[in-house]
Amino acid sequence: MNSLVLASSFTDVKPGLIIWTWITFIVVLFILRRVAWGPLLKSVEDREKNIVNAIESAKRERAEAEKLLAEQKTAVAQARQEAAEQVRKTQADLEKFREELMAKARKEADDLKAEARRTIDEERVRAVADVRAEAVKLSLQVAEKLLSERLDDAKHQQLASQFVTDLAKRPSA
Amino acid sequence: MKQVVGLIVVAFSLALLAAPAFASSGSHGDEHGAPKDKAGASSEFILHHVADDTEFEFELPFVHLPPIHLAELFGKEPGQGLYLERVPGACSAPVDASQQAFESLFRFVNGCWDLRPTKAVLSMWIAMGLLALVLFLGRGRDQNGVPKGLFANVVESLVLFVRDEIAVANIGKDEGPRYTPYLVTVFFFVASMNYLGLIPGFYTATSALGVTIALSVATFVMTQLAGIRSAGVVGFFAHLFGDVPVWMKPLMFVVEFLGLFTKPFALLVRLFANMLAGHMVLFFILSLIFVVHLGASVVSVPLATGLYLLELFVAILQAYIFTLLTALFIGQGVALGHHHHGDDHAH
Repeated sequence: MNSLVLASSFTDVKPGLIIWTWITFIVVLFILRRVAWGPLLKSVEDREKNIVNAIESAKRERAEAEKLLAEQKTAVAQARQEAAEQVRKTQADLEKFREELMAKARKEADDLKAEARRTIDEERVRAVADVRAEAVKLSLQVAEKLLSERLDDAKHQQLASQFVTDLAKRPSA
Repeated sequence: MKQVVGLIVVAFSLALLAAPAFASSGSHGDEHGAPKDKAGASSEFILHHVADDTEFEFELPFVHLPPIHLAELFGKEPGQGLYLERVPGACSAPVDASQQAFESLFRFVNGCWDLRPTKAVLSMWIAMGLLALVLFLGRGRDQNGVPKGLFANVVESLVLFVRDEIAVANIGKDEGPRYTPYLVTVFFFVASMNYLGLIPGFYTATSALGVTIALSVATFVMTQLAGIRSAGVVGFFAHLFGDVPVWMKPLMFVVEFLGLFTKPFALLVRLFANMLAGHMVLFFILSLIFVVHLGASVVSVPLATGLYLLELFVAILQAYIFTLLTALFIGQGVALGHHHHGDDHAH
């Protein structure tokens, strides 16, 4: 067998080989599509879907968490503001209460003062009256002694009262 | 350091492979009874190795497995088994010189249907067996569907590469997944045959023209089906006339019609030539040891080792290119339906 004949043996197209290749290829294609590629690609697709879902849900949860955080922040700020408001209000109330108390105390003190003053005035008036009466009595006695004369009590008493009243009307008394 | 050791191992195994293989080629010469020169014996051995045949010899060092006589299993004489003879005498009739290059084809047309599985078919089946084994070993997944183990990870990354970088990238996001199983099958089919051929003692089915023709025809059919599916029968044929003035349409038809066939033709020749040439060059370089001088091994063994490593890359590269171009053609077919007579026809 010369080389030329051998060389032509691999350029030779064998229809049998073509047919066997087709048969093998088609059988392999159908078997592998069913047994190997189908399950493999499905598993990969499921995995990809899972990953996409996981990313999506993570994003969603993150957004939700951020929203919640913002809400919390607002709530905290609001609570703080409310507390501050409350404190201020309490302080105002206290202040008001204090002022009320003070006013009341002051009023009571004033009342007491006024009462005291009135009592003092009354006492003074009475004392003055007493003093006046005593003075009249004394001056009568003095006059009695001086004149050694017994005078009509009532007439002289009236006279003396007149005198003392006049005395009281003068500004220097 | 590890790589250097690996290279030395590969080199030695290649040398061991070559020695008995070429030694056995001497016995071929004895069979024919005529003494042969070393160069002639070597070239005969190489051509015998790369050519498809009904004899399958495991050309292994030390291991002497009995050759498989496919002819005896499936029909030795015309008319027996799968060696069909539709027209009496068609298989034994002499062929003239002009038909010698395509002898089997002419005999088939004349009524000699030689359907016996050959070395290439047997290699294809062995490759498919190994592919099935790899896929079986790579079936492990945990409860989340994440691949477990080396094989599972390699298989899944390759499948996803074909899906994302070949199918979806060339056909589109909508139609890509439909053709993914086909493309993945083509990729693994071609790649496993290419890799089987790199195991010493086995034959590369993709270096037989019949295999690449069959695959190209499958791609051709797939491409046209994709076009018809996408554009409809009328749209598909309207496309053949192109978007040109009426008087140019017949010319356009010829160009487009030829284009339908030139594309898969380039595909089949590329795969066939790459796989055949790689193996032949590897053998020619090693045969220098026997043809020129034993000292040539100093040059030819490292060179053959380098080539072998290159072939390891070429094996997957050619599978990738075949799949990529198939996806590209299918993508063009799918695009017919999406923009009628658009200006971005990718040819």
